[in-house]
Amino acid sequence: MTLSNQYTESMDDNAISKPESRHPVLENWDGTVGQALVEEPRMSARSVDVFYGDTQAIDNVSLDIGKNEVLAMIGPSGCGKSTFLRTLNRMNDSIDICRVEGDILLDGEDIYKKHMDVVALRAKVGMVFQKPNPFPKSIYDNVAYGPRIHGLVSRRTELDEVVETALRKAGLWDEIKDRLDKPATGLSGGQQQRLCIARTIAISPEVILMDEPCSALDPIATARIEELIAELSQNYTIAIVTHSMQQAARVSQRTAYFHLGKLIEVGETDHIFTSPSHKLTEDYITGRFG
Amino acid sequence: MQTSTLLLVIAVLAVLAYGLGRQRSIQLVGGPSQIKHLHSLPNYYGLMAAAWAILPGFILLAVWVFLEERIIIQGLMNSLPDSYGQLGSPQMNLTLAKIQNISSGSLSASADPQLTAAAELLQQLRDRSQLFKVILTIGTTLVGALIGWVMTRPALRARPQFEFVLKSLLLLCSTIAIFTTVGIILSVLFESIRFFQAIPFFDFVFGLQWSPQIAIRADQVGSSGAFGAIPLFVGTLMIAAIALIVAVPIGLMSAVYLAEYAKPRVRNIIKPLLEVLAGIPTVVYGFFAALTMGPLVRDFFQGIGFDGVSAESALAAGLVMGIMIIPFVSSLSDDVINAVPNSLRDGSYGLGATRSETIRQVVFPAALPGIMGGILLAASRAIGETMIVVMAAGLAANLTANPLEAVTTVTVQIATLLVGDQEFDSPKTLSAFALGLMLFFTTLLLNIVAMAIVKRFREQYD
Repeated sequence: MTLSNQYTESMDDNAISKPESRHPVLENWDGTVGQALVEEPRMSARSVDVFYGDTQAIDNVSLDIGKNEVLAMIGPSGCGKSTFLRTLNRMNDSIDICRVEGDILLDGEDIYKKHMDVVALRAKVGMVFQKPNPFPKSIYDNVAYGPRIHGLVSRRTELDEVVETALRKAGLWDEIKDRLDKPATGLSGGQQQRLCIARTIAISPEVILMDEPCSALDPIATARIEELIAELSQNYTIAIVTHSMQQAARVSQRTAYFHLGKLIEVGETDHIFTSPSHKLTEDYITGRFG
Repeated sequence: MQTSTLLLVIAVLAVLAYGLGRQRSIQLVGGPSQIKHLHSLPNYYGLMAAAWAILPGFILLAVWVFLEERIIIQGLMNSLPDSYGQLGSPQMNLTLAKIQNISSGSLSASADPQLTAAAELLQQLRDRSQLFKVILTIGTTLVGALIGWVMTRPALRARPQFEFVLKSLLLLCSTIAIFTTVGIILSVLFESIRFFQAIPFFDFVFGLQWSPQIAIRADQVGSSGAFGAIPLFVGTLMIAAIALIVAVPIGLMSAVYLAEYAKPRVRNIIKPLLEVLAGIPTVVYGFFAALTMGPLVRDFFQGIGFDGVSAESALAAGLVMGIMIIPFVSSLSDDVINAVPNSLRDGSYGLGATRSETIRQVVFPAALPGIMGGILLAASRAIGETMIVVMAAGLAANLTANPLEAVTTVTVQIATLLVGDQEFDSPKTLSAFALGLMLFFTTLLLNIVAMAIVKRFREQYD
């Protein structure tokens, strides 16, 4: 590990506003370094460009997410990692000016093809957000929300089972089993985030996308979520965006480094953090900027 | 000196006191460079001095203006010869009015020398009161200003004191609404009590017949006078219910469309247009109801085989009233729905919910308390609405559950009872106040129930 103690998670805007002057490397950028593609991909992105109006947020990204692996995406603020994550289950659809080009495949199927059922897609590719966003309902109803709208269960007892299983997997069951009918908004931040994960697990997705799931949590709650990610990776494919490089190092098998909308380097997490191939990656993980 | 001039004088003195207090505070510590030795900034010393100047003088003036006339009249009555003291209250009032008219010159001095003398006395009392008022008010203000000036010392805790004065003033302002409400209730209540002395309370509340014409002479026909309020309240609630049945679904759905589906450009056109509806005078809605909707409703229902449908019907009035209150529902609901955080929507979409599922199961419950507020406002408008009903639903107090018949409402009856020349000792006129009181309590009850519902849901969802 070459992580220095001086590294802080605070973002340096200079890295974004004056990229060329500090990193002339990008001007003659010649493609992603490392192994962006894997043998058994769950999701694969090929030459993806994303535009917000006239601004290009993602530039020619090709990246695979393997089965049952945890892929961490790191990079300075505004590098496009969250945008990329959101293209994976078409959450960007709700933004009118957003346009996606290239191919994104889930189990070999193009999710941007015509007549793609976005509802079914999102049932397979669940998402956990930066800020815990429990619905203003009871804890039980929060978890039961997905199974209900997708008609996954027919009987109440089945639903009870699904809710309990999801809460157990999210490591929340023992804490809240006595107050399932209480409002979810009364839980602590960490509990709320685990509830949101439970809510996602309850619809049995194949892939779980996590957009900085710990950025609003304290260290103890963060540790619990990280343990949870490690457990979940046995059954699910997980793509996680994080600002904490320690977190990326702890939870992921592979790490992708984004910079200014480009995918700079992908590789085994150990490899990325010990001997990065690209100058930018090295600068970022040693805390020289970002 | 006029009261308004006096107010101006007080204001000028207060400004002076402000300047002096401020200057003195600076002087006492030895110049602007030393103000760090003051407890508060010099401004606050000035404000405190101004408060000392303005408040006592102003309060005195207010009390004086409020009591002046009563005390003068009392003095005048005491000075009248005893023979007047034995007169009953109406004659006494008449005499007083005469005296006042003589003194103001609109009635030439009458033959009665006693009245002329009384008029002179009245003028005298008024002049004296005027003089004392000016002297006392200005004196109090000056004394107040002096106190403020003396109290200005570096150790004076001017900032917290002034904050307290300000807080008290704000409290006073906020109680004005309460006092007004109490005043309105009392004024209506006293007249209602007089009404209930003539008509038994239960006959009014549970009576099924409303026909407020009362025979003045014994031989008059067809003016029995029946004061049962039930038909009016049934009419009111029926029309309001029809209006809400129209307005709530349409208003809510347009709010959902505007907040969730509409593109900004569409929204910017539709929303102001919807709000134009709220700006149309109710009289104009009345035309529309009476001339367009009424015949339309009649023709339609006659067309599908109903008999005896009149052009004046509760349905026509209710439909138009419903259209009138759509903007109350839609505009408020739209604001509330927009205020639901996007993270909730994202969370729902992220689980594969469709847009309508998200709206029904996440956005709507979260926005419910605000939506209830909008509906409540619309309901009070519907219950209080008069003009549309006068024109479109008629004045006949039918007790019916058929919305195709003519009905009348509480507010319409109040309006007709109080239009024109009134005798205030007749139950006919007084019944208007009893109706008003009952309407007040009905809407109050509705409000309380709705608040309780909102609170229940709010506890559940927050």
